[in-house]
Amino acid sequence: MTTATLETPREAAAKQKVILCEGNEAAALAVALARPDMVAVYPITPQSSLVEHVAKLIADGKMDADIVDAEGEHSVLSVLQGGALAGARTYTATCGPGLAFMFEPYFRTSGMRLPIVMTIVTRDGITPQSVWGGHQDAMTVREVGWVQMYCETVQEVLDTTIMAFKVAEHHDVMLPVNICLDGNYLSYGASRVELPDQAEVDAFLGDKFVNWHVALDPQRPMAVDPLTGGSGGKGPSTFVRYRKGQCKGMQNALRVIEEVHEEWAQRFGRSFAPLVEEYRLDDAEFAIMTLGSMTGAAKDAIDEAREAGKKVGLIKIKTFSPFPVEALVRSLAKVRALGVVDRSVGFRWNCGPMFQETLGALYRLGRHVPAMSFIGGLAGADLTIPHFHRVIDATEALLQGGPVPTEPVWLNERD
Amino acid sequence: MGRSFNTIAFDPSKCDGCGDCMRACASVKYDSEDTSRSLIQILGRETDKGSAFELALCRQCGDPKCTTVCPAGALTKNGESGVIEWDGSKCVDCLLCTIGCSYAGIALDETTGRVSKCDTCAGNPACVPACPHGALRYVTTSNIYNEVGDWEDLFAPGLAGCQGCNTELLMRHTLRRVGPDTVLATPPGCVPGMGSVGFNGTTGTKVPVFHPLLTNTAAMLAGIKRQYKRVGREITALAIAGDGGASDVGFQSLSGAAERGEQMLFMVVDNEGYMNTGMQRSSCTPYGAWTSTTPVGKSSDGSHLSQGKTQDAKNLPLIMVNHRCAYVATASTAYMEDLYEKLDKAIQASKTGFAYLHVYSPCTTGWRFPTDQNMEVARKAVETNFVMLWEYTPDTGVHFTRPVDKPLPVTDYLKAMGRFRHLSPEQIEHIQKKVEENRRIVERLAENAHAA
Repeated sequence: MTTATLETPREAAAKQKVILCEGNEAAALAVALARPDMVAVYPITPQSSLVEHVAKLIADGKMDADIVDAEGEHSVLSVLQGGALAGARTYTATCGPGLAFMFEPYFRTSGMRLPIVMTIVTRDGITPQSVWGGHQDAMTVREVGWVQMYCETVQEVLDTTIMAFKVAEHHDVMLPVNICLDGNYLSYGASRVELPDQAEVDAFLGDKFVNWHVALDPQRPMAVDPLTGGSGGKGPSTFVRYRKGQCKGMQNALRVIEEVHEEWAQRFGRSFAPLVEEYRLDDAEFAIMTLGSMTGAAKDAIDEAREAGKKVGLIKIKTFSPFPVEALVRSLAKVRALGVVDRSVGFRWNCGPMFQETLGALYRLGRHVPAMSFIGGLAGADLTIPHFHRVIDATEALLQGGPVPTEPVWLNERD
Repeated sequence: MGRSFNTIAFDPSKCDGCGDCMRACASVKYDSEDTSRSLIQILGRETDKGSAFELALCRQCGDPKCTTVCPAGALTKNGESGVIEWDGSKCVDCLLCTIGCSYAGIALDETTGRVSKCDTCAGNPACVPACPHGALRYVTTSNIYNEVGDWEDLFAPGLAGCQGCNTELLMRHTLRRVGPDTVLATPPGCVPGMGSVGFNGTTGTKVPVFHPLLTNTAAMLAGIKRQYKRVGREITALAIAGDGGASDVGFQSLSGAAERGEQMLFMVVDNEGYMNTGMQRSSCTPYGAWTSTTPVGKSSDGSHLSQGKTQDAKNLPLIMVNHRCAYVATASTAYMEDLYEKLDKAIQASKTGFAYLHVYSPCTTGWRFPTDQNMEVARKAVETNFVMLWEYTPDTGVHFTRPVDKPLPVTDYLKAMGRFRHLSPEQIEHIQKKVEENRRIVERLAENAHAA
């Protein structure tokens, strides 16, 4: 457990170094501060510079971790599963096709309740062939039991990466965690970053808590993941117990993420909305919803729209998995129309995935709120302030009670 | 537990009554050409199917009748060698022992007027190498059983293998040898199918054991081993995997781990297909073999004919040699001493690098042969050079451990199984050619190693 600190946040903050770095480097520095035992890597654009930074930190003796240059992402995650089962704190990063190739062990990680931390430097899905940013990769795997937190800034990448270990290894969670870091925008975007003090991070994270529940250890031999299920005997109830436990872990994560963010703010003086962030929402009539780094431009557009007299606010999702239904419903309760901007596509509903998820939250709200889906920023396309003005204007029009479009608006269609 | 001893084994189906064994014995023991003095006697008899041969030889019985009927205490069983020894100074020449023995293993030597019997030439019987047909074998695996029998069996009793499967034998021997400080990976296939990882909360193994994915055995084991190494704990990382997962879908992680020199012992139990899943083809399935996905059939008008697998097997152990592993070997459960020697070397090599052991494991169910024929099929594979037993280290290169210089025709192996029943003469010719070609490939590697 964490030890008490006598320092005030201001004192702790004073010990922090201020540096200029890109999101990928910030993630690597955060990983070093979290002191994992094992890192497995395989390069893929736009993640590559992240693992290069990790490798260099290890080579320079600034990070004491075993680095495995695996022959592909499938093995990357598999090596880490083995490491975690032997008690290692573990980390990796991937994206796009690498995440797709990793899917088989990826699905299994949450089932074994292994607290592996992995950055997804988000990239659009192929094909059409593309190497640029987009949330399609992370969205495609949103349903398999990993915690997924999306970051808005480089500082948030650094802080969230450290927090991710604490969330993953929490007794009530014990689940793998993705930090979603927008490819191109955050991965290569340089920014002023405050680097926490190592001793402070050590105190924050406490002892690692990795394989108390499932281990491959000759000193306490057990069969890990025996064949389970089927229609007879203990099979059905055993399988249900495992699955239900995963779901409970996911729900617990909502509380733990809030607690961990609160402690982070107290220790380091930097506060981030853990689940859902509201921006100029309290007196808003309508809102737009965003995810990840697009939020910066969106907030600027909100400010301009406010100056123009539009009563618009913003809802940003940080924790996408587990989906923060309750927190989101509280925010949605404040508005009468909603525009949701996705950087990925939901093929089944012909809308953005976050829009689709939000429809479920709107049902919980119990009041009809007209909502529209906007899709933009695919494959590295820019989402700029003018794009968000289009979103704001179209969403505002919903307040008039006219027909609600059933098709998404493709924001970059005519760029 | 009782001791077992080395013994001379006789296969009457291979004997043609040539008498070379008797000539060798008479020569070595008495410097005589008189085969009636030989301590091994081959007795011919006529049957409906032609001549058949039987063996008259001391079996060095565990519960010998000759010693109990001897009134003079001249016959005693040596507790170390197992040989029943005759002491001429005590013998009163009553010949009761010759009546007591059921095997005509002790008989009157008319030249001396006294009894005579085999003493196994002190563990190097002259008759065995004299046999030109391999009908005699000196079986020396007893020490393994004497030693291994006292070690803890680390698998649960009653694993659910098919009747006659020797993979259970292999698993038990391997884990006994490797010992309890082991983490065992058994990827999907026959080995977990037998219950090694258990079912619904039970386990079949007394060491930590897990199902990797079919695809990631070597990668997961690498992570485990590395973490224990990091914290200074010595464990053996062991995989007992099938040929399908290793040669097909799991090959990438296997190759990657071998290239990185991950410290583990990766054992492939090669039954030449996905036998646990219903006997489908793998890349280790040999040419011509029936499997459930390379079935035998023909169209009603006869224009299309399907005759089993149309490609040759991938030679996975040779591919592993090209990874420059710390140790690579092929083995067979019909040659347990060879297997044990290799197991010891592989365990040792796994402490510093990647050790790969490829064990041929005939499948009674999938290869379609009687359940009591497993060892015989495994042996025939080696005797025909269909399977070759060799080993490799980076320092010594490739060399044969049980070279078969006068192989039986491959048909002797093929006809032992139903999966080759349909083969055409052309297919058999293809297989025979491939056997010889494969032999030349390994020979060349061995010659190069020798030259170097």
